[in-house]
Amino acid sequence: MIVGGQSLVSSAPVFSHDGKKLLVCTGCTVSVFSTSTGMLITELEGHTDRVTSIVVVPVATSGGTKFSNYCWTSSLDGMLFYWDFSTPDLLKKLNVHLPVHSMVIPHILSASIGSTNKASPNLYAFVSVEDANRKVVDVKHLCGLIQIYDLTNSTRVGGILAETRKPEILAVSKSGEFVGIKKQQQLNIWRVPNKNLKSENMKKLKLHHTRTLSCLAFHPTNSIVAAGDVSGRILIWRGFGKMRLSQDGGGKMKIDREDRPGVRDGDDADSCSTWHWHSSEIRFLLFSSDEAYLFSGAKEGVIVVWQLDTGNKNYKPNLASPLMYFTDSPDPSLSCVSCEDNRIHLLRMPSMDIIKSISGIKLPLVLPESQRGESHVTLGFDRSNGIIVLPTMDYCVQFFSLFDDTEISHVQVIERNYDPVDETTVYISLIELSNDGSMMCTVEEKLPEMGLGGLISLKFWTRGSHTGHYTLSTVIYEPHSNGGVSDVAFCPGRSMAVSTSYCGNFKMWVKSSSFIHTGDEIQEKGGWRCQSVGSYKGTPMTAAAFSGDGSVLAIAAETVITLWDPHSNLLVAVIGDSLSPIRRLAFVGSSEYIVSFSAGTKAHLVLWNISTLSMHWSYKLLVEDVCSMTSESRFAVLALFSYSDKSVLTEKDGMVLLFDVENPIPVSTWFVRKAKGGRLNFIKNKSGEAADGKQLLAYINGGHEYILLDPSDIKETEGLIHKTARRPQVHSDDENVAVGYASIYGELPSFELTKERSSDNVPFVPSERPWETVFSGSSHALPPLSKLCSPFLESLLEKQNVLSQ
Amino acid sequence: MADEANRQLFPTQPASHLLPPSRTAKTLSTTPESSYWRTFRSSTLPSNLHLPITSLAFSPSSPFPLAAASSTSIRLFSSLSSEPSFSTLSLPDLAYSPSFRCDGGLIAAGCETGLVRVFNTANSTSLRSLKAHSRASRVVKFPLLHQKLRLFSAGDDAQLVQWDVPSETPLLTVPGAHRDYIRAGAPSPVSDDVFATGSYDHTVKIWDARVDSGASSVLSINHGAPVESVLFLPSGGLLATAGGNTVKIWDVIAGGKAVHSVETHNKTVTGLTLAKVRDGETRLLSVSIDGYLKSFDFSRFKITHSMRYPAQLLSVAFSPTGTIRVVGTNNGVIYTGIKTKKDELEGETAQVRSDEFVWSVPEPMPVLRKNKRYFSRGQSEMPSEGDFVIKRREKVKLKEHDKLLRKFMHKDALVSVLKTKRTTSIIAVLEELVARKKLIKCVLNLDIDELGLFLLFISKNATLPGRARFLMDLAKRVLEIRAEDIESGGAELAVHVRNLRRMVVQEIQIQRSLLEIQGMISPLLAIAGK
Repeated sequence: MIVGGQSLVSSAPVFSHDGKKLLVCTGCTVSVFSTSTGMLITELEGHTDRVTSIVVVPVATSGGTKFSNYCWTSSLDGMLFYWDFSTPDLLKKLNVHLPVHSMVIPHILSASIGSTNKASPNLYAFVSVEDANRKVVDVKHLCGLIQIYDLTNSTRVGGILAETRKPEILAVSKSGEFVGIKKQQQLNIWRVPNKNLKSENMKKLKLHHTRTLSCLAFHPTNSIVAAGDVSGRILIWRGFGKMRLSQDGGGKMKIDREDRPGVRDGDDADSCSTWHWHSSEIRFLLFSSDEAYLFSGAKEGVIVVWQLDTGNKNYKPNLASPLMYFTDSPDPSLSCVSCEDNRIHLLRMPSMDIIKSISGIKLPLVLPESQRGESHVTLGFDRSNGIIVLPTMDYCVQFFSLFDDTEISHVQVIERNYDPVDETTVYISLIELSNDGSMMCTVEEKLPEMGLGGLISLKFWTRGSHTGHYTLSTVIYEPHSNGGVSDVAFCPGRSMAVSTSYCGNFKMWVKSSSFIHTGDEIQEKGGWRCQSVGSYKGTPMTAAAFSGDGSVLAIAAETVITLWDPHSNLLVAVIGDSLSPIRRLAFVGSSEYIVSFSAGTKAHLVLWNISTLSMHWSYKLLVEDVCSMTSESRFAVLALFSYSDKSVLTEKDGMVLLFDVENPIPVSTWFVRKAKGGRLNFIKNKSGEAADGKQLLAYINGGHEYILLDPSDIKETEGLIHKTARRPQVHSDDENVAVGYASIYGELPSFELTKERSSDNVPFVPSERPWETVFSGSSHALPPLSKLCSPFLESLLEKQNVLSQ
Repeated sequence: MADEANRQLFPTQPASHLLPPSRTAKTLSTTPESSYWRTFRSSTLPSNLHLPITSLAFSPSSPFPLAAASSTSIRLFSSLSSEPSFSTLSLPDLAYSPSFRCDGGLIAAGCETGLVRVFNTANSTSLRSLKAHSRASRVVKFPLLHQKLRLFSAGDDAQLVQWDVPSETPLLTVPGAHRDYIRAGAPSPVSDDVFATGSYDHTVKIWDARVDSGASSVLSINHGAPVESVLFLPSGGLLATAGGNTVKIWDVIAGGKAVHSVETHNKTVTGLTLAKVRDGETRLLSVSIDGYLKSFDFSRFKITHSMRYPAQLLSVAFSPTGTIRVVGTNNGVIYTGIKTKKDELEGETAQVRSDEFVWSVPEPMPVLRKNKRYFSRGQSEMPSEGDFVIKRREKVKLKEHDKLLRKFMHKDALVSVLKTKRTTSIIAVLEELVARKKLIKCVLNLDIDELGLFLLFISKNATLPGRARFLMDLAKRVLEIRAEDIESGGAELAVHVRNLRRMVVQEIQIQRSLLEIQGMISPLLAIAGK
């Protein structure tokens, strides 16, 4: 079982003490990357929930510990762990009992720099935790707490330092003298005493602003603090806390208002200056280690370098993604910046050139409001190579290897300059790859401005010499004149594709391949062209699928499935009538069954038999995706729990069911999280020694985290689950396998089995209100009178009842 | 993976579907071979001919006159390099296949009637008439080496005859040498008694007059298509045949083994000839009715150059001096390429230099150069041969509107591109503005003059096939939102609106007539479909 696709940018990364390693929070593990190669070295596995912060222990100068690497980590599972990340070993655990959102250890620097003969003082950790219970109890909903723990003795110290509405990220100065948080429109700063640390004798200072603050940073040595707000302003307070945080007792001195430009009434600072360049919320602030510069970043994807004394600016533009964190390393020539597109760039410092990039899986596209209604998930699978193809915000597609959990390449699909600030008006709406991955088709849409100038174009790509290298073969502008493209499918084993449109037709595309000799090399000439156009009663075509051998093409014309001969473009047959438009179709392996599902209020999963043109069995299920094995007659379904069940299972909102066509009882079941917007597909197993053509089931959830399940053997699956129980991952609690349907039947009241083995060929769709559907369908294919009569009379009776009441 | 460093900048480009496919050659190839061919100055021969030039031949002796077969006569051009004058050798019907004797003293030609006539080159008098063919004698060839008294002919009656010219008697007659028209023949360059014939029955046969009775061929090769031209390569061991759109090279000595097949022409290859290029290298020139002349290096089996002519090509000849190439077309025009002495010299030197470049291994450069000039070289120093040149990254040249778009000055960008009057760029900028959701605002902000520009563009291009849907909607929207300004805008705007109106009327008419045509065609198609 392979798990991957975690976000690299959920929390700020941290450099090791020598700057040769980078520790990144990836889900419930900490990944250690090499800064020279950008490759993964090792992983720290132990937490059972998302890791939120890492604090690296600086190395003491004494000889023995020179090469050891230690760090503290905190996680949402309420544990603080102490690691040796070179081996990697878990050395110490401390239970906080509450989800930790942030942790700082102020005196960690002074603690270890001191030589060995000096008795090192106790280490204290400031943790920002979330107490969900307080949300209910407390009137003000102050559920974020700041607590102090003694790491040396593993005990909690004192009471609660502060209460906030939501857990805040803690900031600490490099010397460990000050700890601060932002609290809506003010900064709270505490001075950390060197000895005798208790929450009572911590001195506190508040600095006020008129807008909500978003981040803060302390100057390494001087008493300067910088804070960014949501409007893009940066505030610099100099000389804060001279009175209230002073060592000796905090005697209240007289405040001279005239001398302190920019400081709000009663705040304890010498001066406050404001810089404004960014147009949106400041994401990070950091003082450089030489104390002369301040780095700031926001949504524009530009790192701004402020000269601290003069306020002059310098820019590092063109990172092409909103920025998240900026971390400097002990090595002054190295730092890194985390971008929102799940990528960490390592920068060579004074020039800010990118040395290496560590790329994670791209996050789901954020589509403009008008398009968000249709839950449209754009993902492509290269089934033979185990590659997932994802669209990115900067008009590329990313090829991501599921087995290696690394990016392979990316291909620019739309030739446009990307600006993170701009609203998305052009995006990739569909990606489809042929079975062997040699051809790719992308659909891009340009949204019209007030009904003007929308453009849909279809692009066909051919793979180059390596996986993930594609060259553009053909561009087709407005493939279905005005209508949007609903689905694209490639014919297995042939250079043929079909695109269906909401405007009621589908087009077959074929590739005319001719080779021209230009000198030595053979160049491929010729592209894709339309072979034929078909439509069925002008109804919108919503989905398309080819059978395993490519001889039958199934196209969903809203509620019915039409079967076509793809070569002669003849309508062969029409199957059934579902209640609402069909979202997706899949032929089940090489068998004679098609599985289809429709969404909406009458969500339905139906298995159709092609040879008898009738329904085989069906479920009332809210299905998100369906896929089938190419060889066996099994298929997998990603089902969402309907919203009424939310109280039953809050964490897990979906499940993956594996069916065999002959049996409506699922072969195996997995519970998953974030199933909304998830995708399923079978991919060829390539990992390890079991490369015998076995297929793995890849599940990608709405947040683009994925897991590869082995559908072949249930027993084996159980074993794997036990193994992963010891080795917790993001999905660890998602996979308590229930073997067979019976074990989960009780938990799911709405998951009712409406098995329907229709003896006759008439499509009969069960419904709660039979009088609406009983007469649907063509008149010569109506059910027998005996079947029609009773529900119809029943419906009449019901109406009478209503009347009498 | 520092891909950000070379992150591309995409200028606003017109979508490719709006541009007509470019017809110009993308890049001029710069091989030494093509630069050699480019030293020929091309022109046409003033010949007043209108019928196809079926055959061309150069005399082997100085001053190398050219014979061209067209209509019922053979045109004999005296030397082409100075001002050409010609004499006419007439035949009773369509003339074919002029052939010079090895000393250039006599010329023989075939005729549609089957007659073969032999003329004196010097005074154009007819000396002998050879009668044996019952139909057109398409192939008449003198041997190449020393034999001055004999020639062979073949024709549409599939008969092959070797003649003793003085006595007008056939020495060898092979009736039914092929099973179809014989349209090609060539004497061997190594023996006067060996010759090859090619026929429309797809075969090429090699004959040896010394073989007793000669009734059967020495060798038979199947070309696979009707053979249009046959040629022995200089060694005499290789034979080139042209038929269909392929040229094939055969090894005659190895018993007719196919050595290579060249399939670069799109249509039937009609003529072959040998061309001497510099340093005694020889190329095989082939012409085809697709209008291309291709130069084939048969030692490396590579096409080294191709030239296009604006007509169907039927014949080709190359002067023995290597300075003139002539190409005959189906409309009577003879294209010539004449190499001037100066060009030749230049070509020669260039050839020498390029050869050196290709073949000699560059000597390792001494790393330390002690001369002062090396250290004091300036910025304008050109890289010397053997230096490894690192090119500076090419700067993206941005147009005015791209610069303005980068500064988010949308209206100014629109106005600046409208002023260029380049339709494709204007549409590209309009589409980019749509993507930025700024088009309507831009249109609203245009002042009267700029609105005039905009309406001018719209009234000219609203029905542009590729983007008509967008542009017509845009035109409608602009008229709606700027109606008051247009009314008060004065005469110029009124003219544009009137033009627009006229165009709409025209377009409606076009659409109507298209519908009519569709109505006429669709029943026909329906019937054809059954």
